[in-house]
Amino acid sequence: MTRLILGGLIAVVALAVGLPAVATAQRGYQPPGGPTPRTASGKVDLSGVWAKPYVPDMTKDGKDQKGAPVLPFTPWGEAEWKKYDPAQGDYTGSCLPFGMTRSVNTPEPMQIMQSDTYFAFLFEQNSWFAVVPIDGRPHRQGIPTWFGDSVGHWEGDTLVIDTVNFNGKTRLDTIGHPHSDQLHLVQRFSRPDLGHISYEITVEDPKTFTKPFTNSRTFTLRPDWEMMEYSCEENNKSLWEGRIKVPKP
Amino acid sequence: MYKKRMKKTMFQSMIRIGLALAAVLAVVEVEPVSAHHSFAAEFDASKTVTLSGAVTKVEWANPHIWVYLDVKDERGGVQPWQCEGGPPNTLTRNGWSPNSLKVGDTITIDGALAKDGSKTCNARTVKLADGRSVFAGSSGGDNPPPPKP
Repeated sequence: MTRLILGGLIAVVALAVGLPAVATAQRGYQPPGGPTPRTASGKVDLSGVWAKPYVPDMTKDGKDQKGAPVLPFTPWGEAEWKKYDPAQGDYTGSCLPFGMTRSVNTPEPMQIMQSDTYFAFLFEQNSWFAVVPIDGRPHRQGIPTWFGDSVGHWEGDTLVIDTVNFNGKTRLDTIGHPHSDQLHLVQRFSRPDLGHISYEITVEDPKTFTKPFTNSRTFTLRPDWEMMEYSCEENNKSLWEGRIKVPKP
Repeated sequence: MYKKRMKKTMFQSMIRIGLALAAVLAVVEVEPVSAHHSFAAEFDASKTVTLSGAVTKVEWANPHIWVYLDVKDERGGVQPWQCEGGPPNTLTRNGWSPNSLKVGDTITIDGALAKDGSKTCNARTVKLADGRSVFAGSSGGDNPPPPKP
């Protein structure tokens, strides 16, 4: 009987030792613990490689994601949403830039690099990036772009990134919720501990929505991951062979 | 003798249960798949297909891997098919590699057909002849996640 109990204990211990390795290789993953890291100047340091929840539809909840269940469309926004048909051309299928929200929504990781002057989004999806001045300067008055123009400032320990001047050619998410060139995003980043970022994004667009709406997410630190190259054009067979249509301007 | 055998059997059962648990845990919560583009732009989730055949080529490249296979039809002829899988980056982080699937492997793919009627599918699961699943991760971003291997 003693041997039986001993055998059982050995099996349990073996599993306890072996399982974390197996699970960690997948996603039953726990990030390292510890206090919120800070830069030499005392700001919260948001740097790291981060796993983000995949959010193909910003109205839906999911693991580490709280969506906005009802989007407050204007008549123009409602019409844009109803007429959207990805089979008639999805700009991301042509490897055009996803834009800010859709890049943050991807399941691919994102690296954040930060100094006192800049915050950089390094998206693995299609190897895109967006560099954000966080030293208090105002928005630039440039040509509208896919990712818009971002500036950031600190509100206590929260970094607030404000983005405007979008070209209006993107969609908010994979399912295709619309926005216009009047899109205004406010992204709020805080780091309650070493292993997590609390992220909130507020979407405002008076042409498309009657009032702002928000998604809240948790990002998880992955020090075991390194960013990998992602060339969208390399083998985009579906476009070349005509199964994906090129969107009309 | 009988007791000894029973102890051995119980111990083996515990090990087996433990290993089964480990196997289950190993496949839960794999990294989500990529959505390089809207799934509905190319595939019809309502038109499912199961294909069995021999691998003729694997393209391990972004934005999605592609697996090519020869599938025997009812008349004994061979039809070439191509199926899209997840992106190499995500598959790599989930433990797969370009060598996980080799030319000549006999596989079974469960997937969704392309809307254009060509012999093209989006692979949700890819099973080897021995029952192991590889490349389980389609690009079906707007659709329910693929079944676990």
